Amino acid sequence: MTKTTGTPPAVSFTGAVKTYGTVRAVDGVDLRIARGETVALLGRNGAGKSTTISLLLGLIEPDAGTVELFGAPPERAVRAGRVGAMLQEARAVPRVTVSELVTFVAGRYPTPLPVAHALELAGIADLAGRRVDRLSGGQTQRVRFAVALAGNPSLIVLDEPTAALDVEARRAFWDSMRAYARRGHTVLFSTHYLEEADAHADRILVIDRGRIVADGTGEELRRSAGGNLVSFDLAGRGTEGLTLLPGVRSLEVRGDRALLRTDDSDATVIALADLGAIRGLEVAPASLDDAFLALTSRAMETV
Amino acid sequence: MIDYLLLEVRRTLRDVGFVIGGIAMPVMMYLLFTNIGEIDGGWKTASMVGMAAYGAVGSALNTGGGVAEDRAIGWLRQLRVTPMTPRQVVTGRALTGSVTVLPAIVVVLAAGGLVNGVRLAAWQWAAIALLLWLGSIPFTLLGLGNGYRLTAQTTGVANMVCNLGLAVVGGLWFPVALFPGWLRSVSAFTPTHRFAQLGTAVADGHAPTAGAILVLTAWLLAFGSYAVMSYRRYAGNI
Repeated sequence: MTKTTGTPPAVSFTGAVKTYGTVRAVDGVDLRIARGETVALLGRNGAGKSTTISLLLGLIEPDAGTVELFGAPPERAVRAGRVGAMLQEARAVPRVTVSELVTFVAGRYPTPLPVAHALELAGIADLAGRRVDRLSGGQTQRVRFAVALAGNPSLIVLDEPTAALDVEARRAFWDSMRAYARRGHTVLFSTHYLEEADAHADRILVIDRGRIVADGTGEELRRSAGGNLVSFDLAGRGTEGLTLLPGVRSLEVRGDRALLRTDDSDATVIALADLGAIRGLEVAPASLDDAFLALTSRAMETV
Repeated sequence: MIDYLLLEVRRTLRDVGFVIGGIAMPVMMYLLFTNIGEIDGGWKTASMVGMAAYGAVGSALNTGGGVAEDRAIGWLRQLRVTPMTPRQVVTGRALTGSVTVLPAIVVVLAAGGLVNGVRLAAWQWAAIALLLWLGSIPFTLLGLGNGYRLTAQTTGVANMVCNLGLAVVGGLWFPVALFPGWLRSVSAFTPTHRFAQLGTAVADGHAPTAGAILVLTAWLLAFGSYAVMSYRRYAGNI
């Protein structure tokens, strides 16, 4: 995956570490994001998403390892106007209008979008003359998105962009984001919503305890976590020997039902049939939730 | 950076708190203090300079309040991920401070000339305005030092304490002649007293004394170091 020739990737982390006291918020992260990719950084709260993004933007320095954007230190890429960001926990800027704010930010960049176009992309063309501090939460979020893309940066970074948005605002936001990504820009967003990562990213990076524990499409993650779930009624029988059946990776008992996570559901079902354990038998694909839990709990065991 | 200056000046002038506290209050206090009871003409001029200075100090400190607010809402952090350099941001802020002190100075001087009938030569008006403008720089630096170091709320309180405390002790509100002797000696070392002296000296028709310039320069260095220290220590965490 590491390219040694040609154009450097949009984002590249090599063994990046960031420690706060005794907490290793980012604990040896290696990652590459090619230009034009839309990538989700998925993790629970406190998994290291925001620290990773702060490192990426050059807001903090790694204690060890290196972080590069377009083959240069983040600060240089930021100064060159190749990066736009929507930061977490940013509130509305008081006493400016939407168009004043976006015009100001666009003017900092060498090749900005026309302001009207930026507002349109963010879906706030009708709010241009309104004061930013008098908008709703969803509208403010879109203003922040417009601020991130106003400079027409090659890489746009969105830290939990849809936190605190309702369903409708969220959908509108993702439509805007995709419109921007379609223009050939690189997009990295962090989220703790699995569905969002699955629906809107080409690739998902799962982060847990400061490490990247999985990297692939939603489909690949589902597969790597153990393809299918086979469940049946125990109907009084014990669970001994079930984990030894072909394909089975793990066993969980919920009430009277046994849930087997298996790499080869056909072989598992045949073996269960031989045992006569087929009452209420169901085969279901593992959900991304299952995959996520499997990935992050595995990481926990190795700690 | 000009764009940033314009943006921040506009934001400051839209701040109702700033317009009332930094511009309207000094004018009202000036008109009040110079039109109640037996007033001699000298006090109308001295108080005009004092209140213009008081307004300038408040406006200069207000710049720091803006910095603290922008830190709290994440706007300064957002600026860090644009091509603007940190140096441009802090310089833009300092320049904002030096622009936003002008309304208070101009309005109080205008009230002196138009309402209270203060008569000075044209060069005196110009020199007073210019000296008050330049002399407000130490207070902008004090405000920036507070703004980078303290939270938005604490900055508000700190700025108010600095503003009122220095204004009263420095004799911007009441003539120092009314003070007990010990307070008068304290007053001579305050930046506000020396700041106003720049203006009163010109109003009396002579250049500011070396003492005034010396004390004010010392405060300029002290507040400047404080601002630089605050900025170096805290701006990295914005």
